Amino acid sequence: MDVFANLALGFSIALTPFNIFLAMVGVVIGTLIGALPGIGPVSGVALLLPLTFGMPPTSGIIMLAALYAGTMYGGTITSVLINTPGESASVVTCIDGYQMALQGRAGPALGIAAIGSFVAGTVGVVLLMLMSPLLARWALSFGPPETFALMLLGLTTVTGLTGQHALKGYISMVLGLMLSMAGFDIISGDPRYTGGIAEMLDGVDFLPVAIGLFGMGEVLAGAEEAASGQILKARYGLRDVWPTATDWARSRWAIVRGTVLGFVVGTLPGAGPTVASFLAYTVEKKVSRHPEEFGHGAIEGVAGPEAANNAATSGAMVPMLTLGIPGSATTAVMLGGLMMWGLRPGPLLFEKNPDFVWGLIASQYVANAMLLILNIAFIPLFVRALRLPYSILMPLIVIFCITGAYSQNNKIWDVGQMLVFGVLGYGMKQLGYSPAALTLALVIGPLAERALRQSLILSNSGLLILFQRPISAVLTVMALAAVAVPVTRALRGALARRALPAAT
Amino acid sequence: MRRADQIGAVLLLLFGVAYAATAAKSYTYWGANGPGSGFFPFWLGVAMAILATLFLIGATRSPGPGEAWLPSGHGLIRLAAVVGATVLFVVLLPILGMTLATALFLLGLLRFLEGHAWPVTLGVAVVTAVGNWAIFAWWLQVPFPIGVLGF
Repeated sequence: MDVFANLALGFSIALTPFNIFLAMVGVVIGTLIGALPGIGPVSGVALLLPLTFGMPPTSGIIMLAALYAGTMYGGTITSVLINTPGESASVVTCIDGYQMALQGRAGPALGIAAIGSFVAGTVGVVLLMLMSPLLARWALSFGPPETFALMLLGLTTVTGLTGQHALKGYISMVLGLMLSMAGFDIISGDPRYTGGIAEMLDGVDFLPVAIGLFGMGEVLAGAEEAASGQILKARYGLRDVWPTATDWARSRWAIVRGTVLGFVVGTLPGAGPTVASFLAYTVEKKVSRHPEEFGHGAIEGVAGPEAANNAATSGAMVPMLTLGIPGSATTAVMLGGLMMWGLRPGPLLFEKNPDFVWGLIASQYVANAMLLILNIAFIPLFVRALRLPYSILMPLIVIFCITGAYSQNNKIWDVGQMLVFGVLGYGMKQLGYSPAALTLALVIGPLAERALRQSLILSNSGLLILFQRPISAVLTVMALAAVAVPVTRALRGALARRALPAAT
Repeated sequence: MRRADQIGAVLLLLFGVAYAATAAKSYTYWGANGPGSGFFPFWLGVAMAILATLFLIGATRSPGPGEAWLPSGHGLIRLAAVVGATVLFVVLLPILGMTLATALFLLGLLRFLEGHAWPVTLGVAVVTAVGNWAIFAWWLQVPFPIGVLGF
């Protein structure tokens, strides 16, 4: 089995002192970012991306992936103790986690979440490790039509799932594609949509946009109110946190179900940890022998979703690494990072940069082990961090946004761009558009354009080439269905609304 | 939000049309070797125009004005203060330099918007400005903008 040889290579990279240190930094900052309401994994990765420019890409991705995993652990702390989600994948944990805390069982709630997350995270990495090479080998046979169809599928599913309003989601996506066209055309070299501004020749830079939309945008959304909740007091000794025999019996299978479900959902382009956690909660409630306890402190309601969101972070890396299509908003930002480091995402990554891929995979085992220890033994430390008032945190995040946007090219122009997109991101969020779809489209846009143009050069029947090759036909039909389903649902809803006043 | 949606839809419609027109007029739609630099942008503009039209129809037909999307009163003032302070930061960055601008920005927001006591304000401002310099300028070798005061 060459998996073992590859894994050995991976560990030889992940276990260098510098990379262990970076994984440590990633998990600690990740747990903090996850725990603090107002900033989540997407802004965390966007904000830390500038720190990685001076490092080898492998070290950079090790830190960012550790951070992503850490946010999933950290979000739980806030959900359980304050009843406010630290990030969106822990929303559903508030329901039973907070009830458990009210009953004086905050310790076991956090304990089972940490253990469930560890199991799910580790199994998720095993699955990632076994599946990705196979998928990458299969994807090597993809020509431009398949690549384009795959990107279309990624774009449409992300858009269909993220926004509350399907049409606004598609508008956000097309807007992102339109912005991505600015600058030099990669095939002909013609400058496009520069408005005569020299800085625009390089196009709309990804990093200021991501930092603006997510970091600055979230700060502004939180700026209008400076409220913070009450932190419940609890005991966090090892004995208090370790689940009881009954807790184990009840959550064992919930963790297994959450892991499998979370990983599968995570691999789907478009559905990430948040969707996975909600599905896991629904499943647990359905299969439970005592569904009436849900909402009143059922430990399965914490264990299942918390396992699912961690497995989903590993799942989301599968399409990112093998196909170059991000599975979630966070992996979209990571993918942007990959390109900035000069790597070409896609199936060739496994052949051309094995040290990168396997170093990342091995480091994920390390990160999950660190997170288990951190989230069992050091809970009080993170609880203390939660006491940091948002009124101090908020201006600090702004400083980090500004410095981060500046430091890529050392241009004040980029800081201005970041600010413009920060205001835009705030407006989009308030009005129900999808910043995630815009970001994803901005990353994929130039790649999708190239794949489409190459497909059309190959084709002698125009766009029909997408339907003439089996894999691309299946993917294209799936992409079209992903557009059609929410649109028809919205249209039907609109018709029903109009019929309603007539009936009364 | 209905009014905001209508305005948004009209702006997006205009943007889509102008974008497609630019592509058609200034860039090559189809070259000797196949689709040119104007091909994909043209259809993106068309797609945006169609989506925006659908959106405009939907927004106009929606019942009632819907929820407000901007905060009012105190919330709006806070929002404007943070945006304003950041704009000021960017404008003053070349004059003051990164470190001084950072400290003044924090000083302004923490003291006058959030009402923190002077010791807390000064402590956070100085530690952050120096810490930021240490991480980016010293460790990562990012050449920070230097102000008229020479740092």
